Amino acid sequence: MTEVEQLLINTIVLSAPLVLAALGGLISERSGVINIALEGVMLTAACITAIVGVATGSAVIGLAAGIGAGIVISLLHALFTQAFSIDHIVSGMAINALAIGGTNFMTKALSEHSQERVPVYPNWAYYTLALAATFWIGFYLKHTRGGLHLLAVGNDPDKSRQMGLDPIKVRYLALVGSGVLAGLAGVLIVSNAQSFSDQMTAGRGFIALAALILGGWRPWPALGACLLFGLFSALQLQMQGTRIMGADIPYDAWKALPYLVTIIALAGFLGRNRAPAGLGKP
Amino acid sequence: MTPAVRMTGITHRFGALAALEDVDFEVAVGSVHALVGENGAGKTTLMRVLYGALQPTEGALFVDEIERRWRNSADAISHHIGMVSQHYSIIHELTCLQNLVLGAEGSFLLPADEMKKRADHLAAKMGFEFDWDAEASGLSPSAAQKLEIVKLLWRDSRIMILDEPTAMLSPVDSDALYISLKQLASEGATVIVVTHRIPEVVQHCERVTILRGGKKVADLRVSETSAELLAELIVGHAVTRPAPTAPNPGAAVIEAQDLVVRGARKDHALKGATFTIHSGEVVGLAGVDGNGQRELFHALIGTLPIESGRLVFAGDEITTTRACTRLMEGMRLIPEDRHEEGVIQDWSLVDNATLGLQRIPPLTNGPWSDLVARRSLAQRVADRFKTKHSGLYKSMRSLSGGNQQRFVAARALELDPKLILAFQPTRGLDVDGTAQVYAEIRNACRNGAAALVASFDLDELLENCDRTLVINNGRVFEPLTGQERDRQAIGQLMVGAK
Repeated sequence: MTEVEQLLINTIVLSAPLVLAALGGLISERSGVINIALEGVMLTAACITAIVGVATGSAVIGLAAGIGAGIVISLLHALFTQAFSIDHIVSGMAINALAIGGTNFMTKALSEHSQERVPVYPNWAYYTLALAATFWIGFYLKHTRGGLHLLAVGNDPDKSRQMGLDPIKVRYLALVGSGVLAGLAGVLIVSNAQSFSDQMTAGRGFIALAALILGGWRPWPALGACLLFGLFSALQLQMQGTRIMGADIPYDAWKALPYLVTIIALAGFLGRNRAPAGLGKP
Repeated sequence: MTPAVRMTGITHRFGALAALEDVDFEVAVGSVHALVGENGAGKTTLMRVLYGALQPTEGALFVDEIERRWRNSADAISHHIGMVSQHYSIIHELTCLQNLVLGAEGSFLLPADEMKKRADHLAAKMGFEFDWDAEASGLSPSAAQKLEIVKLLWRDSRIMILDEPTAMLSPVDSDALYISLKQLASEGATVIVVTHRIPEVVQHCERVTILRGGKKVADLRVSETSAELLAELIVGHAVTRPAPTAPNPGAAVIEAQDLVVRGARKDHALKGATFTIHSGEVVGLAGVDGNGQRELFHALIGTLPIESGRLVFAGDEITTTRACTRLMEGMRLIPEDRHEEGVIQDWSLVDNATLGLQRIPPLTNGPWSDLVARRSLAQRVADRFKTKHSGLYKSMRSLSGGNQQRFVAARALELDPKLILAFQPTRGLDVDGTAQVYAEIRNACRNGAAALVASFDLDELLENCDRTLVINNGRVFEPLTGQERDRQAIGQLMVGAK
């Protein structure tokens, strides 16, 4: 395998979970719910998949449990922000903290010394799913009633209410969808490694969010942005230990590369985009 | 003839407060019916009951003589009741077509071509035309109002409620709107117009219901009434307005020379504004919304940079002076969006009263902020227009919209103003409130200040200002000598017909 082929394959492997998570974020944020809880949703889904998968020995039950966990955590975010009117960022932080502590506890309590591998589906199934989801969401937003309601509620919940829509209901449904996708992202991450390790999502929920913003809250550009971040992560893996112009670049510097790109992207150097106008509004 | 709508004994209480008390309301099929009253008279509450957005505490509602009890607006919409609210329900980020069908899409999949065909058909019936794929943010106020009407048709609304439909329209567009409404009525629709503009009622409506303090005071045929009688019924006593005093202008307070200012979209929103306002004068600024009023006000107060031109304030050039200096020199602003730009909702009334004036003695004393002076200022501000509040240290949020409005208007008149810039100072205020605000502005001008008042209501300006400037497409025009108060001449300037 040539280096370029390896790079491309790594790019796909590394960007697929980002795509799923970014799409999850897209559905949530298009409905007006700021979703920094993606990270926590992914992490919990990954952990539950590992525990349930090992316990039952079934890939399908593990997958279902992961998605279910994604939905539950995502609905928790909906409950906090919509029913209790907690600030979206605060709720997201709380969920992320809960996920880190909770998954750590669960793995310690239930499967600390488990050497068993998590039963999984092949990764290409998730790649296909990510592509199909991108296509479907693009179509859904533009050509269906549900998509229109999502856009309307995300842009102006008050006016949507006047038009007979129920913004709260739309948002709960949106967060179910968001939970499914972010949950899948978590399942994919654990499928890659075939075992759960502490904080294994490693900030990828935030990178997905950055890709979403960079993609202007649109599915295909978001996919593109995820591929870009995936490419830099792959580059980082491959470049470690190589010398550039005779200089020995430390391992950590390469490792920081994808995050650096995230910062540059979010600072608006790669083009600014308009956020849904109703983001964070009650 | 059977009434299209009959409401009997409607009572609605918010807590202990009765917003509506035993109101009967009846509208005939195929009529244009006006519902008038002061702020807080219960007009909007009554209409929200009819539209299903509120459930009345008591009372019955009949549509086509069948008793109905709405659970929500969707219920009312499905029974062909439609409402256009004052601020429109058009979502800027969606396309015109998306806005049109929102909430009444019909099928799960949205067939764009079919929908456009029906939309065009409905629009053509009213003589309107739309670019359905364009984003709605580009619509002018009158185009947005037209889209709202097509939205009602799309939903097969037969009972149409319009809340202050002409608040943002020029006289020409308002007349056109009523022609459309009458056409709809002649085709069998029932139109209810909530308005505070009495001339419109007299000119265009058939019947009028008057509410005061949550109770119905009269239900009249318009042909049997007059503008004076309506005004009296609305307020409960005869309205006497101080006639505008003959201007006896003093020295120039503000001189603008060829101001060019870029707007939010980086285009030239103001393309050359030249005018002078003298001390003692109340000058109106008429114009259709979006013709550069906003940018002119921002440029005058110093929150938008002036690209070219000169601005002179009380003899000193201030073209590049910062907003805080201008405020200290005596400029005061009543901003357009009081709730967003005028106050900080989470701050107390005392803090909000100080907002913008904080550098001016006696509020400030060297490096110190004088808390006693601030409190007495807040008291004065609250008292001036009788702002109803539950304590000066309560947050601004606890005040109703109308009361926040009164508060912000009163603040602009404090601490010796030299130039009062008022953007729709009476928006959302009732007849009495409007008269008070203008009287106080007039009062300040008698003491040497000058005022520039922008409004989309030409009649209001003609009634209250000494003279009226017109802004159209980023340029300021002065009516010819002898036509300063000529409604028609000014109306034509507003739409650029001259």
